[in-house]
Amino acid sequence: MHMADALVSPAVAGTMYAVSAGTAVYAVKKIKPEDLDKKVPMMGVMGAFVFAAQMINFTIPGTGSSGHLCGGMLLSAILGPHAGFLTMIAILAIQSLMFADGGLLALGCNVWNMAFYGCFVGGGLIWRGMTGKKLTKGRITAASIIGCMLSLQLGAFSVTVETLISGITELPFSVFLSVMQPIHLAIGLVEGLITAAVLVFVGEARPETLSTDPSTLGKDGCMSRRKMVGALAASALLIGGVVSLFASGNPDGLEWSMEKVAGTAELSASGMLHQMAEKLQGITALLPDYGFQTLESAVGTSFSGIVGGMIVLAVCLFLCLAIKRLKHTGADKGNTGNEQN
Amino acid sequence: MSRISEAISDLHKMDMEAEKNGWLQGIHPLPKLLVTILFILLTVSFGKYDLSGLLKMGVYLIITYVLGDISIKQLLKRMKLVLAFVCLVGIWNPFFDREILFSLGNLSVTGGMISMVTLMVKGVYAVSASYLLMVTTSMEDLCYALRKIGVPKTFVTILMLVYRYIIVLLKEIERMMDGYMLRAPKEKGLHYKVWGTMIGQLLLRSMDRAQTVYDSMMLRGYNGEFHLRCKRAARRLDYLYTVGWSAALLIVRIW
Amino acid sequence: MKRLEIENLSFHYGQGGFQNQVLKNINFSMGDESVGLIGANGVGKSTLLKLLTGLLDIQEGSVRIASLEMNKGNLKKIRGEIGYVFQDSDSQLFMSTVYEDVAFGPRNYGKSEEETKRLVQKALEQVHMEGKSKRQIYRLSGGEKKLASIATVLAMEAGIMLLDEPSVALDPRNRRNLIQVLNELPKAKIIASHDLDFVYDTCQRVVLLSDGEIAADGETEKVLTNQKLLEAHGLELPLSFWRRN
Repeated sequence: MHMADALVSPAVAGTMYAVSAGTAVYAVKKIKPEDLDKKVPMMGVMGAFVFAAQMINFTIPGTGSSGHLCGGMLLSAILGPHAGFLTMIAILAIQSLMFADGGLLALGCNVWNMAFYGCFVGGGLIWRGMTGKKLTKGRITAASIIGCMLSLQLGAFSVTVETLISGITELPFSVFLSVMQPIHLAIGLVEGLITAAVLVFVGEARPETLSTDPSTLGKDGCMSRRKMVGALAASALLIGGVVSLFASGNPDGLEWSMEKVAGTAELSASGMLHQMAEKLQGITALLPDYGFQTLESAVGTSFSGIVGGMIVLAVCLFLCLAIKRLKHTGADKGNTGNEQN
Repeated sequence: MSRISEAISDLHKMDMEAEKNGWLQGIHPLPKLLVTILFILLTVSFGKYDLSGLLKMGVYLIITYVLGDISIKQLLKRMKLVLAFVCLVGIWNPFFDREILFSLGNLSVTGGMISMVTLMVKGVYAVSASYLLMVTTSMEDLCYALRKIGVPKTFVTILMLVYRYIIVLLKEIERMMDGYMLRAPKEKGLHYKVWGTMIGQLLLRSMDRAQTVYDSMMLRGYNGEFHLRCKRAARRLDYLYTVGWSAALLIVRIW
Repeated sequence: MKRLEIENLSFHYGQGGFQNQVLKNINFSMGDESVGLIGANGVGKSTLLKLLTGLLDIQEGSVRIASLEMNKGNLKKIRGEIGYVFQDSDSQLFMSTVYEDVAFGPRNYGKSEEETKRLVQKALEQVHMEGKSKRQIYRLSGGEKKLASIATVLAMEAGIMLLDEPSVALDPRNRRNLIQVLNELPKAKIIASHDLDFVYDTCQRVVLLSDGEIAADGETEKVLTNQKLLEAHGLELPLSFWRRN
């Protein structure tokens, strides 16, 4: 599930950009330079393959619906987690730019939610862990399914947290979560099955292409499990830290958001997160001295204000059309007058 | 038209737009990228009830779309995708936030309603701005701009290669799916029995292609460096575009 | 000047007991001429081309290109002397636009941007594609892609050019055009093809490869009209001769 620009606040977007970019730098460093040259064309073509293959509808037996391929898992199984991660970023960037799937600003979030979990947790931890020593049909299948389900669960959880911290929805955390997680459990299972089918085929036809060589595990391949858990914890701390930094910096916001939360239907479940979210939102509004924060309170919104905004747009549209009109007639005259273009 | 052939034609259309000789197409890609990012950043920075302020940001879109002769037909198509998820999230706001802000006759407008609309407007604005960037800037120009803001060469190279081969692979999949559908007319998608073989074969073919691409690079002296085009220097109009829009957008944001 | 000399070249795939001998004791040399490399499927044409470009390592015998001995140390120099046009243009052309792709080789060989521009323009003129330098690769037709592929090799100013099945999937007009373009190029060429009419129209000399060995090497006219010889090695007379008879 791609996060859209509208669903993230600048602070969340910025934090996730920083975290994802940091991971990307780490991934580049982890690939040996001499390997990188060879891998670049492979990453390019494989990225395009995943991009295109994700557009295929796979029919789910017994239901009318269809599923798709899990790109992160597949790429890490073939290219290794680090190269897979970089390739996924390219795919996500093109999806957001060319197909409005996701957004320019939310790219950092999407890279984290999909590429990081898919490649490092699904592809790195699970795939490498389960198929590293022995490559059998059962292991490939199990690793693909577990990897996909786990990475999608983590991804869905991140989407929920990012959306709530951005403070754009009134939906209580518990409700949002209880919708997102089960849906993604099902999606994860289906994606896992599809990915497993493809990887089993490749494993049988050309086992050497799957990146499972245990000798590379310690070196350029995967991080050790302990390191992985450490990295996950560190990034969680980092994200949490940034959030709490914003949350504690604004004492005034506290009372206000308490009031705000009290007015909503579900208080207890959403209390903590909402407080943080609201405070964060207050802080993230640019240039607080100019009084943006007051705008955040509902009082700042009036009918006349909205109408005013619309009028501005209407006037602007009118002016632009008029200018365009003038330009065209001007150009026509110019053309008939002398042979200028 | 199938989803895949639609994607192919969408990419074609965007490239053809980006090749046009409009004034927006002529502007240096870096200013366009920066202004786009700034616009989206400012747009999402508006508070969730600040609809009146947010609406005014649309001035940027109206001016560029109208004066840049950008068709919005394609844009609207793209909008569907994003708005679906955005609406799914926003639609709940009116139920949870019932604080009445003002009344229009008999209709009481609540905070939830305003925040829902604000969210949707943000979605529309953000997509419109990214679309504007892509429809006036070719992929290699954009890659050049990315290099300029410090995105590593390796990554930009991967981005270019993925973009280059998307169409090739989409066409291959389209042929493959056409062949499949002709022989399995009752299926809506790929039957589970052929998941592995069809996509697996395609994957192996793609890997072979990647090897050939690598050979082709090696034969032309590739040694890990992709020499991207050194583009023209920025002109006065490019500076004007950057400074002008940045100032204008900031003013609208503060105002 | 000898563009290419091959001495006692043999090659096999696999190791130990599963060796598959693909090339046996090939001896061949050529100057500035156009040579057609023909033979049934699986006789080792592609393997030979890969050995000549250093994509495969030489196991036995030797290859000299422009008097340079083929070995790891000479590889970069040799690849500047020999160009390879792949059968699949989409694999050959990996950059986004025609210009960028044709410029890829010269830039890698350290040519200045000005020199690169001159080389690209010259190469595109030679294949009559000068108006399409800014075009996105994927928007080219099959024929244009093939011409662009040839331009990428021409821009490197290689002394000898290898073409793998250049006429595949071209319509009659594009095929005719390609023949004309190739005949206009004053360059040593090896054209590996099953399209014997195409070879007849573009090559002065033909080498017939059969079962890893050179079964015939001579003037196009003589080899391609020898029905017995061709049929003995899994080929047939060019179609246009059937009609003539």
